[in-house]
Amino acid sequence: MRCSKARDFLSREIDGLLPPDATAGLLAHLDACGECRSFREDLQTGRRLLAATEPRLPDNFDWKLQLRLNQALQQRAGETAYPWLEDEPAVRRGSWWPAFGAAASIGLAAMLAVAVFLGPQGAPGAATPAGRATPQVAAVPVVEAPANTTAQAASPAASLAGRSDRRSLFGASRGTGLYEAGIGRSVSTGARSMQPGAVIDRGWSGDRLDDLQTIQRLRERNDQLVRMVYQYELQVRTLKARLDSTGAAGLDTGDNR
Amino acid sequence: MNPSRENTPFEDPRQQRGALRDLRDEDLIVLVQQGQKRAYDEIVSRYKGRLFSFIMRMVKDPALAEELTQETLIRVYIHAAKYREIARFSTWVFTIATNLVRNKMRQRSRRPVTISLNPAPEDDEMPVDPADARADTSARIEREELGRLIAEATAKIPERYRVPFLLREVEQLSYEEIQQVTGLKLGTVRSRINRARTRFRLLIKPMLKNETLLAELEEIEARAAAEDNRTDNEE
Repeated sequence: MRCSKARDFLSREIDGLLPPDATAGLLAHLDACGECRSFREDLQTGRRLLAATEPRLPDNFDWKLQLRLNQALQQRAGETAYPWLEDEPAVRRGSWWPAFGAAASIGLAAMLAVAVFLGPQGAPGAATPAGRATPQVAAVPVVEAPANTTAQAASPAASLAGRSDRRSLFGASRGTGLYEAGIGRSVSTGARSMQPGAVIDRGWSGDRLDDLQTIQRLRERNDQLVRMVYQYELQVRTLKARLDSTGAAGLDTGDNR
Repeated sequence: MNPSRENTPFEDPRQQRGALRDLRDEDLIVLVQQGQKRAYDEIVSRYKGRLFSFIMRMVKDPALAEELTQETLIRVYIHAAKYREIARFSTWVFTIATNLVRNKMRQRSRRPVTISLNPAPEDDEMPVDPADARADTSARIEREELGRLIAEATAKIPERYRVPFLLREVEQLSYEEIQQVTGLKLGTVRSRINRARTRFRLLIKPMLKNETLLAELEEIEARAAAEDNRTDNEE
């Protein structure tokens, strides 16, 4: 047996993992090789040295662990009080950029699609590709609403009228299909044209904020959390008082309980 | 899980502690899952020294080692419900510790090295527990000196070899357990332990020729054996 092989076997032998047949060969080699015998002794002494110099725990380890555990549990209790945050880990970790980028790309692609397919139809004189590319957004002023709102309400697109609070993307002019559909009116026109009692679409935030039950639930949850925080503060004060009264030497390390 | 709520069948805490001592780690963690705080205390008492020893040899910084040891034990408590007895409890604990150590070392390697203008406190300034029989000054210095030399030698072993080496030599984990902790193949575990041992031997070789250090080693071992006997008799 070569020395390199014997040393590989030695490592397994001191762990008790060498098969008996290999052990016999190794022992035969050790009888003949002083270098490998010395190697084996060194490995064993190394083990003894590691065992003899085991680092010792710092003082008051248990006490400090208890304090940190309490803090961790408090923190965890605070986190689990907001289950909707648990459902959105990516947002909490700050890794929202990829999702934001993807959404922005899709939005941009949709806008371009609208620009390509719908834009030229409503732009008079935009028959050529060059005409399509003209910067009409800047050149054409914001279109004002027609004075006759009743006529607008009577049109087939009247149901969409209340929703169009946006400026025209492509400068669609008066009298086009886009305008009649409500797209292309100015914000002020949209506000003026609203009928009394019309349903106002306030978007996603309005839906949430108008929900009185949600508000009530959040208030109750908030009250609960305030009470929890107060209790934790009391606990912290009690622990500090104990710490002050007992001093570092007499801390309860768990063994006295 | 509430740490202050205790759900114990024993009236006398000593009786309960005695009963818990006889349980396996895997049974203790089941009790922790059921909300028994004393079972967690028993786990802490079994693992705190082992974890600190392992982590200290990995990071070489007592304050950081203490922090990571505590973090490991806190995670054991908080995530106790996630433990399933498909692996030994010690394997699970050391997996947590190893991951924490690796993350911390990665963070440190990314951060620029800074040198403090304030000198580090001397070892002599460390508080000594007067109740400890081993806190005898000369014995302590001997042990600390030897410990420093060994720590330096251990730190020179590359990290990829050091983790399986320490798990085997210090924590006495089996090769299969080390494989589970590190995620390496069994053959890789074996070869890395072998290489680390060879490297460690070379690093401590000068010490092995030093008769004084070897005599110190024997003294330390004799004192530790006497201490163990005393503890056994007390129990």
